[in-house]
Amino acid sequence: MSSRRLSIALALLGLAACSRKTVPAAAPSGPPPSYEVRLGHDVFVHYCSTCHGEAGAGDGFNAYNLDPHPRDLSDPAFQKKKTDAELADTIRRGGAGVGLSSLMPPWGRTLSDRQVAEVVLYVRSLEKTAP
Amino acid sequence: MRARHVFAITSLVFLGVLAISPAKNALRPYRSLQQQFRKLGATRAHSLKEALRYEGQSVAIRQIWLPRLDGRVDRCATCHLGAADPVMAQAPEPFRLHPATAHTPSEFDRFGCTSCHGGQGPATSLEEAHGIAEDAGPPMLPREQIEAGCGRCHSGETVDEAPVLSRGRAVMTRFGCYACHLVRGHEDFRSEAPPLTTIALKTGAAWLRQWLKNPKTVDPNTTMPSFDLTDAEIDELSHALFGRTPPQELAAAVAAAEREGPGDPAAGKKIFSEARCISCHTVEGKGHGTAPELSKVATAATRGWLLAFVRDPHAFNPRTRMPQYGFSPSESRDVVAYLEDELRDFDAPKDILLPLRVNRTLAEKGEKAFRARGCFACHAGTGATVAERFGPDLNGVGDKKARSLDFGKREDLPRTTPAWLGAKLANPRSFAQGLKMPSFDLPPDDVRAVVTALLALGAQPAPEAYRSAERQPPGVIPGGELGRLFDRYRCLSCHQIGDRGGDISTAPLTHEGSKVRREWLTSYLLVSYSIRPIIEERMPIFRMSRADAELLAGAITSFYVDPAIPQDPFAGHPDSDRDIGEGERLYTSLGCRACHIVGAAGGYYGPPLTDTQSRLQPGWVFAWLKGPQKWRADVRCPDYGLTDTDALRLTAYLETLKAPAETVARGKS
Repeated sequence: MSSRRLSIALALLGLAACSRKTVPAAAPSGPPPSYEVRLGHDVFVHYCSTCHGEAGAGDGFNAYNLDPHPRDLSDPAFQKKKTDAELADTIRRGGAGVGLSSLMPPWGRTLSDRQVAEVVLYVRSLEKTAP
Repeated sequence: MRARHVFAITSLVFLGVLAISPAKNALRPYRSLQQQFRKLGATRAHSLKEALRYEGQSVAIRQIWLPRLDGRVDRCATCHLGAADPVMAQAPEPFRLHPATAHTPSEFDRFGCTSCHGGQGPATSLEEAHGIAEDAGPPMLPREQIEAGCGRCHSGETVDEAPVLSRGRAVMTRFGCYACHLVRGHEDFRSEAPPLTTIALKTGAAWLRQWLKNPKTVDPNTTMPSFDLTDAEIDELSHALFGRTPPQELAAAVAAAEREGPGDPAAGKKIFSEARCISCHTVEGKGHGTAPELSKVATAATRGWLLAFVRDPHAFNPRTRMPQYGFSPSESRDVVAYLEDELRDFDAPKDILLPLRVNRTLAEKGEKAFRARGCFACHAGTGATVAERFGPDLNGVGDKKARSLDFGKREDLPRTTPAWLGAKLANPRSFAQGLKMPSFDLPPDDVRAVVTALLALGAQPAPEAYRSAERQPPGVIPGGELGRLFDRYRCLSCHQIGDRGGDISTAPLTHEGSKVRREWLTSYLLVSYSIRPIIEERMPIFRMSRADAELLAGAITSFYVDPAIPQDPFAGHPDSDRDIGEGERLYTSLGCRACHIVGAAGGYYGPPLTDTQSRLQPGWVFAWLKGPQKWRADVRCPDYGLTDTDALRLTAYLETLKAPAETVARGKS
């Protein structure tokens, strides 16, 4: 009995590990992401993931040549430190607008306020849970 | 006395009956929901005044009337009370705030609810409104097909915020659904399938048998469906196809090619790669996959046919997307030598390309099957028009009631239109025997997308006031010499011009004349390379003559010009707007190097700007900097909202950037 339980637990762990690798945004067993988060995901993948990576870890392919490196958006400490308004402000005004690196461009004229809000929601869903 | 009793009882019964209607109304679920909402509002309200407003709301039916949208009446807000109320964000259903979309919450008054969600607007009970009740009208769209609602007004091909719908429409175009089915806006659709007049020149009976059995097993890229033909039918069709007389000049070209001497496979391999064949084709799955897989092509076609086809594909199929390359006779021999040498099925039976000795009786039967099975709908050949569609008219399929659909043997399906459509696409023959629809073997995601696109097909087009205007101007292809060259090199197979063209290239040609310099374009047409380093080389080297390249570049740069893009952006501006030093400073402070390479540094997402001077016109650079999305809606280059002065200074700086000598030499060689 206990060995069966153990194997199930192991299988679940394995599953969790796999799914984290492929779909890092969605928790393995949580409810499906809301409509806004899905829209935010699409915007993020199109405009942001080239540098920030799809999971927001700052590992997009274009990040290779960048100094400073793009922010790891999934970092819980970072997530805790920033309010939604601050995130939206940085997206709108870019790094230079908030006293950070100018390599992060301002998106306020490219994305609508609604899209920015969706991206913020998606970024919130990227937070890594404690292991 | 007895009469009095009777009178009393009848009166009581009568009173009771009269009371039923108001009692029924008082017990309607929406009333208790509205009371719940008042309480919820009062607890969620941010101020006392707001709370009192919620408390004071009367219990009543709430409706949106849309006189210009077929006089539609939507009473959904009777229960969905918080749909437009920001206080109700994340509240439990049915009170939750509607997600923000392009039309909500700002345009509830214009669109109502059922125009997107379907269902029964005037109903005021959940079962009737959502269409769950047995006798209700068509139900709401399931969430996974919700984008079908967008497609009712947005009847064009792509809708940015409805990716599933757009994908469904693209799949329908690619697989040629419109060849058999009539759909508004696609009346002129013609399939790209080859006219089947040269089968006897091209392949052998054994190969054709394999193909007819199931085309997908022979070529995974094909869009031809499987018809579940019987062996007898395959035999008859083979006799019919081999019995057709090929056009004389093609027969002569193939026969002459067959007699030519051998080519050099090593040279052919190089040409094959420079011609960027896999920008459309695949070889062992590597490549784009919108044209046939080539790893076994020499087993499918004779050498003579391959050679004649590579030289002039349009003579064999006028509607093919394949360009006509400028190979010399020996170069095409080399290419075909490479195909024969490496791209063949080494395990294929030796007689796979042996022709068929035609039996006239079987051939006649085969021609009948060709019509009965609907093959002609796609393989119409040249000149023939499909006067009547082979399959049913699909306009209005999105409004079909599930009751009117024939579910046949499919006891397992939920009795809904989306479920029926999905099953019909996934496994069309599972409903009954002898149905005409072939199976396309689409992956589940594509099935879902196509069902979404189908559900968007209403019986009537959306009312005029609601029809969305096409964002792209119509693509114009000039006639004459330029038209001939566009046709020869099939530019529109990959590039877009206005609302026309393929989706392989990321560079639309709509404004190309205002964008690039003529000399650069000439050399690019002769020896193309990938503009953005992360993109694979896709533009073919056509081996076009210098004369063709010069003509094409000259015509494009004078025809595809946008009057909004100035030739000299600096005209009328003070000299200080040409400040190159300020421009360079802006380049750094704006962070352009995050995506662009200048010198040795920078990201490689956007095109390197090292040879801006030789490639781009200053007017274009300026116009682009003033708002990149105006020229390509989905481009990632952000709009920095630059002033004219800043955009001009940046332009002046970028226009000083010249490629080092050896790169220029490479482009010109």
